[in-house]
Amino acid sequence: MHQLLTLGSQLPTAAGPCTIERFLGGGGQGEVYQVSVASQPPSALKWYFPQQATADQRQALQTLIRKGPPGPGFLWPLELIEAPQTPGFGYLMPLREPRFHGIVDLMKRRIEPDFRALTLAGLHLSQAFLALHAKGLCYRDISFGNVFLDPDSGAIAICDNDNVTIDGSDPGGILGTPRFIAPEVVRGEARPGTQTDLFSLAVLLFYLFHIHHPLEGRQEAEIKCFDLPAMTRLYGTDPCFIFDPADDRNRPVPGLHDNAIAHWGIYPEFLREHFTRGFTSGLRDPQARIRESEWRLALARLLDGIHYCGQCGAENFHDPAAGSAGTCWSCGQPLRLPWRLRLADALGGAPSRYPVLLNHDTRLYAHHLDPDRRYDFVTPLAEVNRHPSDPNRWGLKNLGPDKWVITGADGQLRDVEPGRSAGLVSGLRIDFGPLRGVLEG
Amino acid sequence: MPKRPGSELASRPLHFIWIADCSGSMSVDGKIQSLNTAIREALPHMRAVADENPNAEVLVRAVAFASSAHWHVSQPLRVADFQWTDLQTEGLTAMGEALNLVAQQLRMPPMTDRALPPVLVLISDGQPTDDFAAGLDALMREPWGKKAVRVAIAIGEDADHEPLQRFIGHPELQPLQANNPEALVRHIKWVSTAVLKSASSPASQAAGLPAGLNVPIPTPTAGPSSAADVW
Ligand SMILES: Nc1ncnc2c1ncn2[C@@H]1O[C@H](COP(=O)(O)OP(=O)(O)O)[C@@H](O)[C@H]1O
Repeated sequence: MHQLLTLGSQLPTAAGPCTIERFLGGGGQGEVYQVSVASQPPSALKWYFPQQATADQRQALQTLIRKGPPGPGFLWPLELIEAPQTPGFGYLMPLREPRFHGIVDLMKRRIEPDFRALTLAGLHLSQAFLALHAKGLCYRDISFGNVFLDPDSGAIAICDNDNVTIDGSDPGGILGTPRFIAPEVVRGEARPGTQTDLFSLAVLLFYLFHIHHPLEGRQEAEIKCFDLPAMTRLYGTDPCFIFDPADDRNRPVPGLHDNAIAHWGIYPEFLREHFTRGFTSGLRDPQARIRESEWRLALARLLDGIHYCGQCGAENFHDPAAGSAGTCWSCGQPLRLPWRLRLADALGGAPSRYPVLLNHDTRLYAHHLDPDRRYDFVTPLAEVNRHPSDPNRWGLKNLGPDKWVITGADGQLRDVEPGRSAGLVSGLRIDFGPLRGVLEG
Repeated sequence: MPKRPGSELASRPLHFIWIADCSGSMSVDGKIQSLNTAIREALPHMRAVADENPNAEVLVRAVAFASSAHWHVSQPLRVADFQWTDLQTEGLTAMGEALNLVAQQLRMPPMTDRALPPVLVLISDGQPTDDFAAGLDALMREPWGKKAVRVAIAIGEDADHEPLQRFIGHPELQPLQANNPEALVRHIKWVSTAVLKSASSPASQAAGLPAGLNVPIPTPTAGPSSAADVW
């Protein structure tokens, strides 16, 4: 099926000749092959079709290669490849590992990540696009086809980075993917850029958390033939959020939009507020869109609020704005909250309104305990455990290098050395070093 | 126990209908064999496109026409379940009757009132021997017929472009000419992938469409089509 490169042939790279090992897939712009240099782990090589191998594309690639990947999660162009005997050019990028699945698999329920992995994926996506935009770049085609996730860990891989450009440089290229394109672009009033990326990101996050599009409600149900004029109206000239509190003409229709109905209510108010703002004022005013840093913060809080139903084990989300623990979305039984740790928002700050729920398997990371390492979910510094001889006694184990100091109800101070655990009792204060927390139960 | 509520993404049906000429002339120079092969070749690619599209449920059927028209595959089948049975040739070219058959199935009911634009692919190597205009009228009287993406493939030099052009109903889109088996394979693959894709998820929403088109049709890749091509 491939036509541009011959399997088994070699091309020169900075690290030595690379062998074309396998054809991975073809797209609109070129073909992607698995290649490797000597005994090193394989990478991916994209080679452009002759009509796509333009001087502009080459120039754009060189800029991207010079700037380097904005962060982890990008399958970023690493090296431009040319060969005297082969027409055109291509570029090397990291190979996407098999653990990553496309969002289409998530939409078709061919993969079933738990809420923790899904939330982490959303957080990583927000972080990745924050980093990209911070470099002055924009993506312009955030959609199902370009984002991949590992359903077990929530890790992400962002592909197709060769269309990334400097924001505002507007070479007149792609407009994006239908259903993800911002309304002002659908209407032809604007070109894709950072502000329209923010819209596409919000759509992608809504899809991730609802398996449904935020603008497909009664208006969509009333469309018979879903063709381009219909889509232009729905996503461009007359868009309306399905849960717009001030406008109920586009509510999801039972039987047609059940996913939206089934998911919306299980998330805490602060997350729903983000979606609401993003798809009401953010629909009309690009400046009012939710920034990636806002998504990142909200999703980190969402992660901290996950707890398990004592009856059926389903993950539920704690809503700090709700008066009670509520009932389980899965089995309908009343929920009982586990221990909650309220950490100070910053050094010397007041305890947060958004507690970390301490489940049997909860770990606290540098993100939680060190204000200088926010969003580091790699380094665990504490974990919930049980007393070795009494499984009814719960504790928090110090996994970090520094001791903690706890203050019990009696006012007594005790040290918790690395490797030791503090027994959980209501009102316990823990000084983690940089931050303090207080335990509720 | 389910980890998360709900089910898969809501989708709409996308009806894809082959309308294939099986008249006697199709038996000359192995044209019918080429058509059977081309459709078989295209199926895995069609499946891949359908598989990657969460918004559409692609359902495939086929009409064959010769001295009369009949449903070669009458039940709308999901591409994953669709198998191609070889077409056989005989007799005349009842193209009008074929369009009539399609029109009856695009009526509501049996059509649902919510769907993606259907894709109709008319393939012929000759000219209609029945009342083509009546068949086309019947088709265009149905709202789903009018909204359908209509593509035509002309096989060989003798194919009459005029009825095919009227079927397409748009001056800017012409029948695809296939003068050799390779071109036929390419065109069949193109309609079952690129056209299928754009019917369910038009790729250039703001780019502006030629007047009268409700689905943007990607331009087929040009291929060799020289006078030396023979059937
Ligand atoms: N880094 C990669 N590792 C593995 N597969 C890849 C990689 N990049 C692209 N592919 C695969 O190659 C094919 C074409 O890539 P794509 O980026 O979609 O091309 P285009 O931008 O030309 O449409 C797709 O099937 C894609 O999954």
